[in-house]
Amino acid sequence: MKITSNRSKAYRIFSLIVLILLAVAFTFPLYWIVTGAFKTGQDIYAQTPHLWPTEWTMANFEKLFSRRSAPLFEIGALVGPTVPGVIRWLVNTVFMAVMAMLLTCITAAMAGYALAKKRFVGRTLLFSLIVCAMALPKQVILIPLLREMSALHLWDTLWAVIFPTVGWPFGVFLMKQFAEGIPGEILEAARVDGAGEVRTFATIVLPMVKPGIGALAIFTFINSWNDYFMQLVMLASNANFTISLGISTMQAETSVDLGLLMSGAALAAVPIIIVFLIFQKYFTQGITMGAVKG
Amino acid sequence: MKKMKRILALTMALVMVMALAACGGKDEPAPDTTTPDEPTETTQEITLWTYPIGNWGKEDVVNELMAQFEADTGIKVKVEYLAYADGDDKVNSAISANGAPDLIMEGPERLVANWGAKGYMVDLADLLDDTDKTEINAAALTACTTADGKVYEYPVVMTAHCMAINKNAFEEAGALQYVDLENHTWTTDNFVKAVEALYAHYGQTVGAVFCAGQGGDQGTRALINNLYGGTFTSADHSAYTWNDPENIQALELLKGMDGIEFDASLQGGDEIVKFYQGILKMAFCWNIAQQLDPNAAGTGAEKTITGEDIAFMSFPSETGESKLCGGIWGFGIFDNGDAAKIEAAKTFIKYFCDSEHTADAVKAANYFAVRDTAEGTDLSGIWADNAIMAEYNKLMPYLGDYYQVTGGWAQARTSWWNMLQDIGEGADIASTVDTFMAEANAAING
Amino acid sequence: MAKQPKSTMSRALVRRETISGYMFLLPSLIFFVGFVIIPMFVCIFNSLTDVNMNTAGMGNFVGLKNFTDLWQDATFKEALWNTFVIVIVSVPTVCAFSLWVSSAIYKLNGKLLSAFRCIFYLPVVTGSVAVTVVWKWMYDNYTGIFNYVLKDGLHIIDKNINWLGDPKYALGCIILILFTTSVGQPIVLYVSALGNVDQSLVEAAQVDGATNLQVFWKIKWPQMMPTTLYILVITTINSFQCFALIQLLTQGGSGTNTVMYYIYYTAFKLTEKAGHFGYANAMGVILAIFIGLLSALQFKLAKEK
Repeated sequence: MKITSNRSKAYRIFSLIVLILLAVAFTFPLYWIVTGAFKTGQDIYAQTPHLWPTEWTMANFEKLFSRRSAPLFEIGALVGPTVPGVIRWLVNTVFMAVMAMLLTCITAAMAGYALAKKRFVGRTLLFSLIVCAMALPKQVILIPLLREMSALHLWDTLWAVIFPTVGWPFGVFLMKQFAEGIPGEILEAARVDGAGEVRTFATIVLPMVKPGIGALAIFTFINSWNDYFMQLVMLASNANFTISLGISTMQAETSVDLGLLMSGAALAAVPIIIVFLIFQKYFTQGITMGAVKG
Repeated sequence: MKKMKRILALTMALVMVMALAACGGKDEPAPDTTTPDEPTETTQEITLWTYPIGNWGKEDVVNELMAQFEADTGIKVKVEYLAYADGDDKVNSAISANGAPDLIMEGPERLVANWGAKGYMVDLADLLDDTDKTEINAAALTACTTADGKVYEYPVVMTAHCMAINKNAFEEAGALQYVDLENHTWTTDNFVKAVEALYAHYGQTVGAVFCAGQGGDQGTRALINNLYGGTFTSADHSAYTWNDPENIQALELLKGMDGIEFDASLQGGDEIVKFYQGILKMAFCWNIAQQLDPNAAGTGAEKTITGEDIAFMSFPSETGESKLCGGIWGFGIFDNGDAAKIEAAKTFIKYFCDSEHTADAVKAANYFAVRDTAEGTDLSGIWADNAIMAEYNKLMPYLGDYYQVTGGWAQARTSWWNMLQDIGEGADIASTVDTFMAEANAAING
Repeated sequence: MAKQPKSTMSRALVRRETISGYMFLLPSLIFFVGFVIIPMFVCIFNSLTDVNMNTAGMGNFVGLKNFTDLWQDATFKEALWNTFVIVIVSVPTVCAFSLWVSSAIYKLNGKLLSAFRCIFYLPVVTGSVAVTVVWKWMYDNYTGIFNYVLKDGLHIIDKNINWLGDPKYALGCIILILFTTSVGQPIVLYVSALGNVDQSLVEAAQVDGATNLQVFWKIKWPQMMPTTLYILVITTINSFQCFALIQLLTQGGSGTNTVMYYIYYTAFKLTEKAGHFGYANAMGVILAIFIGLLSALQFKLAKEK
């Protein structure tokens, strides 16, 4: 008995050391981006890595902010003041991610409820379609989607990125898992009380699937923020760029200027990480609850 | 929970503002489509997409040019900046989405041999009168003209692509004796000796035959062709000739050299970084724009990041006289079916390629003008006060055949770097070259 | 749950349920059908034609020519194989790794646990574009930190390894990045699954003298099966999301081409195949079938358990 406890103690210490090493490895890219953003050219291009900036500089951000410019917003004829391109990209990205999040949450909550609780014709077929389409990479439908967006005059607008994100049925799948947890009796009781469909949904279903909506919201937000591929194909003008696309375009333009790239990457990553850290608790709650039903 | 609600409310408010902001973004194309109905009311707006050709990739420089142009002509130009790494994809997806720009700035290998050949471009022959034809460098004009006489690119600047060496490193390794810094030439023998000396001194890769992609491949092409006098295509551009014994010999030489590595993790741009960093002692992807660039760390023109001196060199050849790859850049017009826009785009081309403003366009590009005079303005002295440019002019006589307009060019570029990757991995050189050359040749007519 | 069998429902009820069901589904269906299903059918249709960038309409019907051409296309076969390798390698490693990490952290106190969870989630949140900027530098042939540590630090290698330039390593490098951006969610899920394991069963087994390992396999593992299956599904989805890594790091070179990248490449890169939409769509169809089979397999597994 003593031996085993010693052994398990040793194992625990060992695993803690490995965990700490892994944690360092996983935080390293972020650490490198953030410190790199403030390094001088000499530090960044040094032949042996400098783990800590020998001198802190804002030069990279100055370059980043002066590189491109765009109006802050354009609402019809109303055009905002000219700001650095990256600011506009951030505005675009936030708009895109938030829109995708709202639309996904609303549509998925409704659809998930219907799939879980309604017995309607075509339900099985629809559900299998959803399951199959879930894993489908967007590259498969890239070309038809591009032509469709062009026909709808949505190409080179953020909507061309938002709509396919909303169409991706993972959210419906997730919300169905949550809605299945709603006891049928409650719904039945509501119906007996004479509550209409809309009221039942708003007052009974929605509150019960709230954790799921929370998780789906953050999930969609992060996914949309980082969905580089659709942005690459659908957005052409600088004023419509998102931050990921802006940074990757800069990477393509000047793989030469790492400092500029690091500052851009920092600007792309830090806001989303802050959002994640704020909502982290709800997120973990949500995704775990959604998975139980798997 | 209360805090959570407040955050949520805040986000919502933010969303509303953003929603308004981006709705504008969405509506933006609308005015464009309605303007033809009331042509007198608004100014004409055209779009220009430009690859990073010298400072034509820099917004502040281009904005100034465009402001001047708008003031003079009343035509507004919306500029988008492309990168070499994904610019082609962008243009192609734009064409597929019926969103191609009105104007595009690049070289004949794209404008003429690709988009022109596929029928997306407007013939610019009517912009060229007899005076223009005599003024513009004949080779450049030929490159911009298709076999059936259509001109899909109006050229404005040109240069010769060359290579560069790290002078301090060469000196330290005792290799400076092998280069003629006065004329910027060296022989193949001296190149081999120099690399040997550098490798003996540094014990690491000093030059990279980069092949992660097509970026900067003019460097590897010129290096391999020049070492023993091989050619890339036949003289009449009807076939690729990579399996010339001279090319095979050059590839074998490079493959067998210590200090030269076939590197499939680098493209031209990455190679330049490694050279600026002082790691590679020579760069095969170079031209005057790099020579003038004060680099990312801002140490100044003709300097590496570590502060060492850079000298540009022609590629080594048996006689020392090599044939340099040319770069030609100019404007082309996409045929989007809008006569008014095509007319405006032609005004643009006339303005920047053949008028007193041409000098500004050339200066912005950091290259040499393709013509000596434009509408009576003398362009030969543009760079008279720039010592580096004047020195670089010594390379211009070595400008070789502009073969980049050979049929199947895009495929040839892809095949070329794939071929180099395979050779780098140790595949048999002669048969690998044959395979990939056949792939490129198969694309010539189709 | 509305468990009552369909047969006992009256016709009117079915109709009412169907109408109200579709009312709720409508907003979602607009997007799903409009931007996923219709493009998918267009894709299938186009894969049978020679439609290309130049064709304004639908192109000519060419039957299965695109598919037979694909069969001859060595690049496509390589891409398909690489796609397969990525899935086969990354799915089990992600699952095993996250299971191990979770079992090591789930008993830690709350603060530490959530710190670890966040850290492993960071690469997901950071986003592939920002992450590749760093990884490109870490893998660098000349100044990368991997070579620096292995050569100058640990003296394991005596010559720099060209991570992204050498076909022996490049695909592995891509998988490693994909791995770091995939483990976040599985860890969160496993941590909670481990916390939910029925403790009375565990204690009973321990009283009977079962070792930790036995407890794990006999008691905990079966209870976590639904979680594992869910993780399998999301990890599989994730392993198809490596486009950005390939586009930004290797452009499909050094043996890292995948079907996802090759479709884009065929559609838009400036090559002879550029704009051959029919051909690219045929690849899309094959990829979709491949994924369909994979999902079917996973859901069959899920049903059986």
